[in-house]
Amino acid sequence: MGVPFDYAPERPEHIDAVLNGLDRYNPETTTTFQDYVAAQCENQTYDCYANLALLKLYQFNPHLNRDETITNILVKALTVFPSPDFSLCLSLLQPHVLSPQPSANSLAEAVQKLTVLHTQLNSASYADFWATLDSDDLYADLTADVQGFEELMRVRMAVVVSQSMQSIDRKVLEQWLNVAGDKFESFVKEVCGWRVEGEKVVIPLNKENEARSSVVRENVKFDQFSRMIRRAYEQPA
Amino acid sequence: MSVRNVPTYQQGAPERAPADDSDVEEEALANDYREQVQYEGGYDDELERVPSSGPQDLQAQLAAAAQPLEYQATLETKIASYDSYCNLFHFILNSDGPVDIDVPSYFWAWEVIDEFIYQFNSFCSHRQRVAFKADNEEEIMVLRENPNTWGCYSVLNVLYSLIQRSQISEQLAARKRGEDGALYAGEYGNRPLYQMLGYFSIVGLLRVHCLLGDFSLAIKTLDDIELNKKAMFARVMAAHFSTYYYVGFSYMMMHRYADAIRMFTHILIYISRTKNFQKNAQYDAITKKADQMYALVAICVAFHPTRLDDTIHTALREKYGEQFAKMQRGGPEALPVFEELFRSACPRFISPTPPDFDNPHLNVDPVEHHLAIFMEEVKNNMYSPMVRSYLKLYTTMDLTKLAGFLEVDPETLRGWLLVNKQRSRQVRHTEGGLLDGEVVNSSDLDYAMEGDLIHVSEAKVGRRLVDWYLRNLARTY
Repeated sequence: MGVPFDYAPERPEHIDAVLNGLDRYNPETTTTFQDYVAAQCENQTYDCYANLALLKLYQFNPHLNRDETITNILVKALTVFPSPDFSLCLSLLQPHVLSPQPSANSLAEAVQKLTVLHTQLNSASYADFWATLDSDDLYADLTADVQGFEELMRVRMAVVVSQSMQSIDRKVLEQWLNVAGDKFESFVKEVCGWRVEGEKVVIPLNKENEARSSVVRENVKFDQFSRMIRRAYEQPA
Repeated sequence: MSVRNVPTYQQGAPERAPADDSDVEEEALANDYREQVQYEGGYDDELERVPSSGPQDLQAQLAAAAQPLEYQATLETKIASYDSYCNLFHFILNSDGPVDIDVPSYFWAWEVIDEFIYQFNSFCSHRQRVAFKADNEEEIMVLRENPNTWGCYSVLNVLYSLIQRSQISEQLAARKRGEDGALYAGEYGNRPLYQMLGYFSIVGLLRVHCLLGDFSLAIKTLDDIELNKKAMFARVMAAHFSTYYYVGFSYMMMHRYADAIRMFTHILIYISRTKNFQKNAQYDAITKKADQMYALVAICVAFHPTRLDDTIHTALREKYGEQFAKMQRGGPEALPVFEELFRSACPRFISPTPPDFDNPHLNVDPVEHHLAIFMEEVKNNMYSPMVRSYLKLYTTMDLTKLAGFLEVDPETLRGWLLVNKQRSRQVRHTEGGLLDGEVVNSSDLDYAMEGDLIHVSEAKVGRRLVDWYLRNLARTY
């Protein structure tokens, strides 16, 4: 069974109550949500549906905007790529933050920087992602609040890799994950449960990476013929 | 839907339970639509014929609320219209006890909500445009003085209040459980006026959330409504396709293309079946919306190649044949096509807050904003069709060799392969709420890499004969 989009296992009750009531539009709940975002950054939990509710409050009450919280939400959304969360967050921001105006304010600059990361992640240019992350001190500031950001990113990348690969060149994977040596081996073995064989990393078969052919047969239901059969009754030939 | 409007051919037929018969249902809906068509013409007469149980001017107000503003309405008219909506809803919601008045029909309730949101939408767009151009001092003055006119809080307030007053969510939830909704309706909700306004306010909320760019909340709003032909919204043609349009669009923006396609095709097939009854002014509006939905289907299919229903596929090729082919081919040449179709088919997004009149350049059109976000996704996936088309030809393939064919370096291709793979895993609805879903492999082509060797597998679909068989049988007999 899948997980509904609006479900978060660790969501506290009081947040759930706000989300399901009309208080989600009440500007006074902004602080509650802000604290919740801070807690998510701290505890490595994630609740997109609640964060979107906060962004909506900001959208309706721009004077309450806290740039830091907005960027934290966006960084948290990066940690669950390739889900659509980052785009959904962007949709609720004010339109001018994405416009390429040179006079843009600091929030616009931060959002555009994060969008670059998002693009690189979604186009699976992981090596570029790490390079960009190192290229500017601003990125360090933006991701500072999110505990274990780099580790979270590595885990997500590993997930994508495990879906598409049965084995991969060690050098390529080192570049993608931006770790090397012992740290690399321990990540691959302990966190991912993969094997290192010489210059190769072997990923155990799972449902996604086995690439097995199948034939889908047409599923015929009796209902499809109901019209036909009714006609047969109506017009006895 | 009971046995009303029993089709004549049934009389000699053996006993069957008509309630579960989708044909009978469709027939009944069709009859409803015919009524609606006639109703369209005799709008005002109808209202006058209603025995007036409330004050006469209220009847007039109700009629006015459903009536569209003139195209060239001035700013003052728009503001005045807002005030009269406020008065009307205030009266309906805050009188002592429920207002005792008969409403003509479902269509009326839908049209009030529809027109209310439409005016909100166009007012916000207009305000944004005025602020961006910054050349009409007079209008800017007026708009500055009325920052709260058509404010998003008051619009949402009206919709939520109507929903709460009528306890429509409780009623619908009860009906879903198989209980009698009326037991949960309360003093207000048992009256048709409140029930219908409440119901269509839910659909209205879906639309408002979508216009404001909150796609997940838009879909969440419909939790209590079951999407099928028996739902109340299906009685009103405009409500029916508007619901599917906004749900489908929201799914698309959540990258759930399979679900979006399901929504669009459902309603498009429906429109094509009922189009014989739509010979009136509404017909143009429906055709326009249908064209938009075909464009969206084309976009979704480009992201998520799938086999379409034959009717839809034929119509799609007629309307957007060239664009469709380009998008399916992918690559940078397809980008302008995506842009063009998105622009023509998206809702007119709005920004909820008054614009910044002092910095005109900051008031970017929200449509551009959503387009930019959407195009980001398009660009990420634009090479997938090329990769797929090559992989289809092989069962195993060397990465460097394929890179040679595609004229890119192997590392770029490795990235593309991952992109295509992660895009093929999509959340798709199976059961439960509309936001529910499971991650499934949505592509018929799958592959895995062993070092530089790509193993390709294909899920072959056996020939689909039933559809063809039934259609030809229906034609000949």
